[in-house]
Amino acid sequence: MLEARAFEPEFLKKLDRLILGIKRARTVRAGQRTLGRVQGLGIEPENFREYNEGDDLRFLDWNTYARLDELAIRTFRAERQVEMTMLVDASGSMAFPERDDKLGLALAIAASIAYVGMNDNDAVRIGAFAMRRGEMQLDLSPFHRRRESYLNFQPFVAAVRTGGETRLGAAVDSLLHQRRPAGIVMIISDFLVNRIDYEDALSRLIAARHEVKAIHVMGEMESNGAYPPGLYRVRDAESGEMRETVFGPETAAACRRKVEQLSGAVREFCNSRGIAYAHAFGAGSLEPFVERELPALGVVR
Amino acid sequence: MGFLNPINLLWAAALGVLVFIYLRSRSRPTIAVSSLMLFDEVPAPVARMRHVRIDLLFWLEIAALTALVLAVAGLYVMAPVRAHHGRSHALVFDLGAAMSAKTSGTSSLEEAKRQAFGVIDDAAAGDEFSVITYALEAQVAAPQTRNIASVRKTIDALKPYAVPARASALEAAMMRARGASTIDLFTERPPSQRAIADAGTTAQVRVHRAAHGDDNVAIVSLDPGTLDASRGRVVLRNFSLKPRLAELQIKIADREVFHQTLMFAPREQMVVGFEPLKERGLISAQILTPDAIEADNRRWAYGQTDAAGRILVLSPDAAVREDLARVLIAVNPNLQIETADPAKFDSHANGARPFDLAVMHDCYFPGVPAASVLLIYPPAAIPPAARIPGLAVSAKAGPAVLNSARDRGDEAGQGAVVPAVRTLSLPDWMDTLALGTRPGTYDLAPIAAIGSVPGGRIGILAFDVRDRLLLDPDRLDALVITVNLMKRLMAPANLQIVSTGSYLNIPVTGPAAITAPGGAASTATPDQWGRVRLRPLESGRYTIESGNRTVQVFANYFDASESDLAMAASAPAARATGSAASSNSAGPREVQPLLIILAAMAMAAFVIEAAVLLRHASRWGLGHV
Repeated sequence: MLEARAFEPEFLKKLDRLILGIKRARTVRAGQRTLGRVQGLGIEPENFREYNEGDDLRFLDWNTYARLDELAIRTFRAERQVEMTMLVDASGSMAFPERDDKLGLALAIAASIAYVGMNDNDAVRIGAFAMRRGEMQLDLSPFHRRRESYLNFQPFVAAVRTGGETRLGAAVDSLLHQRRPAGIVMIISDFLVNRIDYEDALSRLIAARHEVKAIHVMGEMESNGAYPPGLYRVRDAESGEMRETVFGPETAAACRRKVEQLSGAVREFCNSRGIAYAHAFGAGSLEPFVERELPALGVVR
Repeated sequence: MGFLNPINLLWAAALGVLVFIYLRSRSRPTIAVSSLMLFDEVPAPVARMRHVRIDLLFWLEIAALTALVLAVAGLYVMAPVRAHHGRSHALVFDLGAAMSAKTSGTSSLEEAKRQAFGVIDDAAAGDEFSVITYALEAQVAAPQTRNIASVRKTIDALKPYAVPARASALEAAMMRARGASTIDLFTERPPSQRAIADAGTTAQVRVHRAAHGDDNVAIVSLDPGTLDASRGRVVLRNFSLKPRLAELQIKIADREVFHQTLMFAPREQMVVGFEPLKERGLISAQILTPDAIEADNRRWAYGQTDAAGRILVLSPDAAVREDLARVLIAVNPNLQIETADPAKFDSHANGARPFDLAVMHDCYFPGVPAASVLLIYPPAAIPPAARIPGLAVSAKAGPAVLNSARDRGDEAGQGAVVPAVRTLSLPDWMDTLALGTRPGTYDLAPIAAIGSVPGGRIGILAFDVRDRLLLDPDRLDALVITVNLMKRLMAPANLQIVSTGSYLNIPVTGPAAITAPGGAASTATPDQWGRVRLRPLESGRYTIESGNRTVQVFANYFDASESDLAMAASAPAARATGSAASSNSAGPREVQPLLIILAAMAMAAFVIEAAVLLRHASRWGLGHV
């Protein structure tokens, strides 16, 4: 139920002063076919370079040719709108521990960032993914650009249900098959998957020239290992695999170590690929995370 | 401390169920987690330790359940009687024959009554009394009441019976008195420890033993012998530890045939013979010397009849007709026996004179005029209009073991096997005399029965007597049953000699006036079969008059243990009174159930458990409760 917090007026007032921290300016390479179609709001000269055969003669700088008798091509910086996709992990692991409401936290963060993104009239959508019955189920909301349409996200967010397995690679495949222009993709997940899976998924997004940001969400109970003491059989929410374990101080410490290792591994990979990484552990960390963590990490400013 | 409803302790099985649930839940509580990546497999030794781990909730549930089980089982403690609290007394009287033993003109029962009145006088105002008696069975003579006058009247009316006091009857009486806070048992001999111990757990038991001497000589048995052939015998026994004189008189039809004074050594048993009787009829033996118990001083028997009766024997088997004739001649040599094959028998060709007994083997002729009928191995097809209403016989025959051991009093005896027995379904008006068991089953089936209808007496033997069965020395049981039934069928119809305590069915023609030996008169209404049921509890002559018919019943009493006053007097009284004294030592006590305390304990355990669960839920969430 934490996702409802993202639509409360008091909470939205706090988001009003935030701006999406993305590399909005893109270099439009001269002669590329996409230039005209991706024309932004303004054009400013960026640089000159030597003319090569095949360059568009419209960008030839005739003044330079007249003074220096050399053919040079002018390049420009094109400022344009970006498409932002918030991909929320809706697998079965996001439902446990129940009291942590990880899915609610992930959806609230996604909606909050979407609201910030709509400040600049960027096209924003929210998606939820999970592998269910052997098929990747990627549900995406329509793009919304203006804040007036922010509340249109609310039915979609409220309808997201957990279930199935986390398959980041398959989700990215489904997203890339839509052949949308490169934009911003934020993946919000607990990353409780095989390391190869998330590394492959994030790498392919990078390769598709998306600006990728990873937000690691975990519950307070599972990140601290604070389960009721005793001997239990624990069942994996996604695979159904069972294992006997004893919950206690030692298990909690081991659990915390494993969470730190997982978080460290994801952060390390993201840093190596220039991906902004942030983690939100615990439902109580929604507002501090949005107000402090995201600006600190450059997701918003 | 004890339990009012110990059967409810079976609910303690729920504790086992709780332990099972606990161990199961402890061993396999399953919790869903986001991923097993965060958890390690637990080492095996830790897993084994779970069985001894202390779990507060489990022990609270055990405590609550135990308290509830003890509450429904009626756990109680014996606590001192509170002041101004009405107590209940049960006055239990032994009415066996030994209670009639007199010492200095006062019987043991009268002494017991005196002591009981003393108990009543000493009781506080508001106390309740009940009067319970026992001999062959236990009986509540007066239920719990504060009406002292009614209780006194009931006690005054008590009188001893000529029957033994059974231990089982005493236990039944003590069970009925269990609800009382004080049980006063009036008897002349020490009660069994078990009866006292059972009752002593819930009540204070006081045993009042009536003192009496051991001065008793009894007639054990009376055998009239054979008319003009063999001597009769009387067996007498001196139960006293001292030598005794006894004057014995034997009469037949109010004519004295024997009179002698006998000298008995201490505890001597003597067999006294007398000359063969010259006439048939009722014979009585009586000890004229007064002693403690009068009931065993007189005994009756019926002299063997030598009347020249007419007997008809019908059987399709010539050998059977011959065997039955031999047996009948052995019973009475003066019988005139006619035998016939049923296929050639003409019931109208025998003149108007009826037979005294008609014996029909594997056949039935309802039109034969006879005072009594003996059906041996009766056919299945008995016409509904026959004089045997309600009798059903199965056509199928099979072997059976005669259950004769009980009849002879020989517990170790093995009954004879008879090869062909038909299953009888007897009407209510017939009395079973012998039972048998089908091989491989434990169901008892009637083998011999007798009953009376307005037309006369009818006896039935279910087994076949072919193949010289009655003459087979290995199957004497069959012969004994046959002879006994023949004797009863040929005995005078207006005279019966029975033991006290046995039940009798006497055919009558209307309401019957019954006169007991003491002269007490009563009226009985016949049942649907035209019989009145009588159970003589006093020794002596009962007279049953109905219409123009009078039946005399002579009830004999003898019981070796009950008549043995010397044994009762020398029994270890200290042990019996000691057990009673043990319950007396702490003063008057009464049962106080702990129901409220146990229920409160259970409730407290539940409240604590609920608090723990709430705390657990607030900390870990409802999913972990």
